Formats: sequence, C-alpha cells, structure tokens
Amino acid sequence: MAVELIERILAAGGRSAQEVEVYLVEGTGVSAELKREAVATATGSREWGLSIRIIDRGRIGTSATSSPAKWEECLAAALSSMSLTTPQEWRGLPDPADLRRSAPSYDERVVPEPSAAQGFLGGMLEGARKHPESKITSGSGSLARSEVTIANSHGVHYTALRTEVSCSLETICGQSTGSEFAHSPFLEIDPLWVGERAAFFAEHSSKGQPMETGPFDILLSPVALAQLLGNILVPALSGRTVHAGRSRLAPLLGQKCMDGRIDLCDDPFARGMGATAWDAEGVPASRLDFVKAGVLSSFAYDLKTAYRYGAKPTGSAVRGGFSGGPAIGVHNLVLDGPREEIGSERALYVHDVVGAHTANPVSGDFSVECQNPIWVEGGGFQDPVRKAMLSGNLFDALRGIGGIGAGARIVGNSILPCVRFKGMQVIG
Amino acid sequence: MSLPGIRFSDVRCVRATSTHIDIDNGVVESAGTSFSDTALVRVLGPRGWGMISVNNLDPSSKKEMDRILAEGLALAGITEDPVNLAEPGRGEHKVPSPKEDPLSLSLEEKTRVLSGIEKAAKIPGIVSTRATYIERSEGVFYTDSSGYENRFTITRSGFSVLAVARRNGDAQMGRESRHTIHGFNLRHQEPMGVKAGETALALLDAGAAKGGRMRAVLDPELAGVFAHEAVGHASEGDLVKEGSSVLAGRIGEQIGPGILTIVDDPSLPEFGFEPVDAEGCRTARTEVVSRGRVNAYLHTRETLAALGNGDSGHGRAEGGEPPLVRMSNTFIEEGDSTLEEIFSECRDGILLVGSRGGQVDPGRGVFQFNAEYGYLIEEGERARMVRDVSLSGEILSTLHGILLCGKEREMHQGFCGKGGQSVPVSDGSPHILLSDAVVGGSGAD
Repeated sequence: MAVELIERILAAGGRSAQEVEVYLVEGTGVSAELKREAVATATGSREWGLSIRIIDRGRIGTSATSSPAKWEECLAAALSSMSLTTPQEWRGLPDPADLRRSAPSYDERVVPEPSAAQGFLGGMLEGARKHPESKITSGSGSLARSEVTIANSHGVHYTALRTEVSCSLETICGQSTGSEFAHSPFLEIDPLWVGERAAFFAEHSSKGQPMETGPFDILLSPVALAQLLGNILVPALSGRTVHAGRSRLAPLLGQKCMDGRIDLCDDPFARGMGATAWDAEGVPASRLDFVKAGVLSSFAYDLKTAYRYGAKPTGSAVRGGFSGGPAIGVHNLVLDGPREEIGSERALYVHDVVGAHTANPVSGDFSVECQNPIWVEGGGFQDPVRKAMLSGNLFDALRGIGGIGAGARIVGNSILPCVRFKGMQVIG
Repeated sequence: MSLPGIRFSDVRCVRATSTHIDIDNGVVESAGTSFSDTALVRVLGPRGWGMISVNNLDPSSKKEMDRILAEGLALAGITEDPVNLAEPGRGEHKVPSPKEDPLSLSLEEKTRVLSGIEKAAKIPGIVSTRATYIERSEGVFYTDSSGYENRFTITRSGFSVLAVARRNGDAQMGRESRHTIHGFNLRHQEPMGVKAGETALALLDAGAAKGGRMRAVLDPELAGVFAHEAVGHASEGDLVKEGSSVLAGRIGEQIGPGILTIVDDPSLPEFGFEPVDAEGCRTARTEVVSRGRVNAYLHTRETLAALGNGDSGHGRAEGGEPPLVRMSNTFIEEGDSTLEEIFSECRDGILLVGSRGGQVDPGRGVFQFNAEYGYLIEEGERARMVRDVSLSGEILSTLHGILLCGKEREMHQGFCGKGGQSVPVSDGSPHILLSDAVVGGSGAD
C-alpha cells in the first residue's frame, strides 16, 4: 500500500512541479512507566506520517500529514507553500545511488511487546537495590520499530528498518537526585547498570559538601558534554548558520579551532541512534570530518544550503519526525582522539548539567548548574559536592582540553567519551 | 465505551493545522502548512493505565473503539500501581474570539508582514537577521466513559525575530518574540525588530559579568521564569506524588515572605489558556503559594485523588500524548514597591533582563536560568551593561531571599517541555529583589 501511495503522489506532484519527494514513516512502539517502584502505565503507539516536498525552478514547498487519506490536501499545501519561498540556485534532488553499505540501525530482536518493556523496568529496579538509601521516583522502558522510506521523482526509493530501545530511571535520596539512562538501536542496553548508576548518584551526592568558587579542572561526562556540544557546537557546524553569519567557527575553516588531540566527525555508519545509509533527502550518507587533529576541516550541508552557497552537499539532512522538513544536523556525532587516564589528578566530575539550552549559541557562552558534581582523584570518585554552577565559553574551552578519557557511550545523536577541561570557572 | 474490567476510559482527539514561515537574511527559507490528526485512548484497568496512541481515530466507530479498548485493557494488565481518580469539576470557558483571525489571512500576507519585522532588525552593524512565524489551530474533541463530551477550537500564533551583530570575531545576539491566542499579532511590530538589532549591538560593548553571590533585581520576564522554574514545577502533583519535589509535605509551611503569592491560572486568557483541561475538567485559578505559604499543588484527577490539596484542571497534553500535570499561566502577584525603592534597596548588585529559558531539578530543589543580558546596579543606580548572566539557586533558600515585589506585572509567552511534550505557557511577575542570588558569569571583574 505504501509503494502504491508513494507512486500516486510522485505522479500527481510531477504534473505540477519539476521534482517531487516523499518521506514516509510507519512505526509501532510500546513503553512502560514506573512511578516509585510500581508499574503505573503501559502505552502502545502506532505512528504514520507523510511529508511531501516539491521543487520547481528553485522554489521549494513542503507539507506533512498524519492521514493517508489526506495526501491530496497535503500535496496542495506543498504547492502553495512552494509559490511563496524565495527561488534559489538548485541542482536537483539526488539520483538513485548504489548503496552497498548498510547502516547499523536495526535489530530484529527488538519486538515492541509490553513484557519486554516490563523486563527493562525489572532490571533497573534490581540494579537500584545496590544503593538502598536511594528511592525510585520514576522510570521508563520502551521498544520501538519503524520503517522509513524516501522516494523521489528521479527514481530514488530507499527503505530502512529502524529499531530503538531505551530505559531510564530517576531516583532521590533525601534532597539529592540521581538519574541515568541508556538507549540504542540494538537490544544491548543494560538496565541493571542504569538502575545501579541512577541510585548511586543520588545516594553519593546526598552527602555533598559546599565547594569554593574559582577555576577548577572539570571532567564532563558524555551526557554533560553532549548537552553542551548539542546546544552550542552542532549549530555552529551547520553550513546554514555559517553562511547566515551566526557561527563563531565561520572564519576558521582550515585553521586550528580546537585542541590538537580532538577529532570530531559525523559517522552515519557508527552504532548509534542516527545510523543511516542515506540522509533525510536521499543523499548517500558518509563520514564527515568536522575537525581533524584540532583543525576545522568542513561544515555540514543539506542540498538547499550547498546549492545556494556553491558547496558540496555532505548528506547531513536530518528530520525531527515526519512533520518537519529536512534540516542540517548530525547523524552520529563522534568525538575521538588519543585516550588517556584523565581522572588521576584532582578534578570535578559533572554527571549532567541543568540549563544547557539557555547557552548562547552564537558566542558560545554558557552557564549551567551541575548535576551530581563529584571530586575525582586517583582514577575514582571521591567526595561529592552539594552545589556547583559552571560558567565558560565552549569554543574557548575546546581549544585547550586536559585529555580524552577511555570508552564512549551513545547519548542521543552522539557517541562521546568523558573529556577533561582545564581551569573552568565554578561558583560554589 | 466500556468492557468488563475497565473502570474508566477516555478519548482525546486533536486535529491540528500548523503553519510556519521562516525568513532568514531576507530569504523566505520555508513557508507552509502541515496537518495532523492524533488521538490518545486511556483505559483504567483494575490497577493502572493502559494507553493507546494512534493517528486518524474515528471515535464514533464502535468496532474500532472496542478493539482499541481491548488493546488498552491488555496493556493495563501489566500495571501494578493502584490508580484512583478524583471527581472532575465540569465546565468550559469560552475561547476568546481573535481580533484578526490568522486563519482568514493568506500565507502571502503573513509572509509580507513578517518580512517587515525582519527587515526592521537589519540596522547598521547587524550582520544577520531571521524572523519566524508559527501558527497552530487545534480542534479538540474529548469524551469519557461517563458520557461527558467537549469540543473546542483554539488558534495560537506569534513570531520571533533574531539579530546578530559581529565585531572583531565577537558575535552577539538580540531576540524578541510575542505569541498570543487573540489573533494575528504581527502588525506594527517593526519596533520589535529594531529592538532585537539594538540589543545585539549594545551587547558587543557589554562586558562579561563577574559571577558570585549578590543582590539581584529580576525584571518581569525573568521573574516570571523564576516563578515557573523555581516554584511552578515543584508544585506539580505528579512530581509531588513521586517524591521528587522539595514542596512535598509542605502544605501550610511558610517558604517565602508574606508579600509573595504565586498563581497558576489556565482560565486566564493568556498564551497558556485552556478552555477545559485535557481530562475534561474545569480550569481555574490555583494559588500555589499564598502570602508566602504553600497553599496548593497543581493536579490531574489522578494526583488530586492521591494527594488532595488543590484542584484538578491542570492536565495538559499534546495530541496523542497523555495528560500530564502542567502549568499554564504562572505568575507572581503584584507587590507594593516602586522600581525606585527596589533599586535603592538593592544598592549594589545586578539587574537581570529577559530570558533565554531555564530548567529545574524539582527533587533537588535546584534551578538555573539565563537572562538575555543584565546591568550592574551601583549605589542604587543602573550602571554598565553585562552579558551572559545566569541565575541558579536552591528553591527554598532563594524564596526566603525575596525582599521586595514591584507593583506592575507583565506576562511573557513561551513553551514548556516535560515528559517529551511541549505546551504553550505564559509567565509573569513584577520586578523582584533577591537578597542572595547565585549569579553566573565568566568575567574576572
């Protein structure tokens, strides 16, 4: 039925515009929620979404609908949208490519059954029991699978299966909170570990002591780092932001912009949440090196931005669901470099941050409240800190880091290690 | 609408039409309309909830509903938490008629007017401008197993304008936005574009603030965010019930000065207005903090039954998502101080202006939010401008530190995220003076 509908839309759209693109998502999911230690809610979901894009003489129109029966209305809306947009240089939607490499986005073992979600909750409860002073406030476990199709009037018709599993737990001990999560396209998350960590952080931080204000070395966990990179650095790497004059990295192409130990890339073939063999416009996806040994080597482009500014498309279009049109983003942002022991000398470990979305994406300045700040020394956790506010500028901080720790974990659309930063301002 | 074993069920269908326009440096990047039709069916089984989220539900189809109810009941079978529901208060407020209905205007006209605001931001020295328009018209239908039904349509719309100034590698931004339920609000708003441009330029000359503990004056916009982040979230009944709120068990306790009253009122015709809540409950004013004492929590029917102390009518949901306890229009009531008295009492400190948003950990009782900019206050007078200033603190100690509340309240609009759902809200306050605020900033002096 999906193939038939897509063909019908491509044919109808082709009568009014030079090019047509159809993006279709169908998915099912199940989740279960904990309130304190009891399962309170179980939810099943079925999603269907269609997005149409049509292009004629450099004008691009978009619309979306969640109703198969309304595809004609959706196409009409895309056409009237097209008439309003400013025409631009346009060199066409992609032609079909020989996609030899498949991306690791699907695990056939992931079946959205309530019992599986229930199993995640049970695992987290068991893990949390290792720190009995912590109480569980809420948690969730979920499994989903979807089929995503992109097709266009040039003959592109790619379909990918995607799966996603996740679990998360929130805990409290006195007035100290803890949280942990895991997500993956594969049935490879460890609910026991999630439960144990969430409970550990609440329990350990409950004995937090005040700290002095001043500059300190900081160990940002992958979760804390992902928050800052996602809110400040990723927008600055977008070709659109760069050409619009809103990126601090714009004048630095080919120059050193970060510590020489840092490699930063978007790897759509990495085992992460954004794994895909083609981007949201049907452009074959490939590894994109943003920063190599500290030197800024490229920005991210979708078709529209690349054509407008004479740049090479980088297959960096992503969609935040079916209803939004394609926009520049990252599939799997990977930070890498020489690994070393970064916790032997005293530093403040930050598990997560509160308020990263309030950072200034243009200047890179941020000021965030630390979650579970803990002193580390000799490679392990030492005394917890009661309250710490971290201020700084991310672009400046990345120019001279203190080292990259071992390992990496999936946090949203990134795969990150723990990174040590030198002398950042902390208000105790 | 029932099967054996179902204690209660409800259906909420949301049919929405969303329009957006994005103008970036004079180029109409995108402009268009999308459609969605989503529904959530909730089934309360012997213990907890089973829920089904689907597209394009026909609630009048008995066959389809019976199948979904059976599916919901099966899901509810894995739950353990005994859920009970308080009796709902019924009644609906009329959705205010728009002064100029956005749905009656063509996309061309909206684009033309938005373009004027974007152009106005491009004053000399500004290198980048962007303006966006969003409009969402929702037709909501709700019914439950008691036979109750309601339906209404509401359209929310508004704009934001951004300007970026650059000098010697330093880039700063100014941003203004206005959203409303009262109709198309873009006409004659070019001064908002100019203001965004002027703010960005002024920030190029502003220094970084030196962080630390100090006296702080919060302007009405930031003080509104303070009410929302620091108190509003912690008063949400679901968080209180889970044990993740510092306000749990504090009904009647004095947590702030006698001048402090904090209200959430979804019946107020502001951006967070709800004619009826997402469980079909009447919406009304709730005084969360009354003259400094914790007075009530915000509730859905479930959290009211579990906790008492407050009203239901605070359940809000996106289409296809479950009702969560949410704020709507949240504000600090007017006090009795003039602005001059507030500055004079502050003497040496900082004035924080505007908001880039905030976040709270209600269990830990710690909040953080960022001002758009600030001014030092020296000897009771407004002195030089500073940038990238934030405020963080512990809810309970900060509330006790409110020294003065101004006389004039203003409301500002925004969106609030919780549990993966975003809902329109407004926050407001008069100017307030805090005695011992933790101000963040990377400046050395």
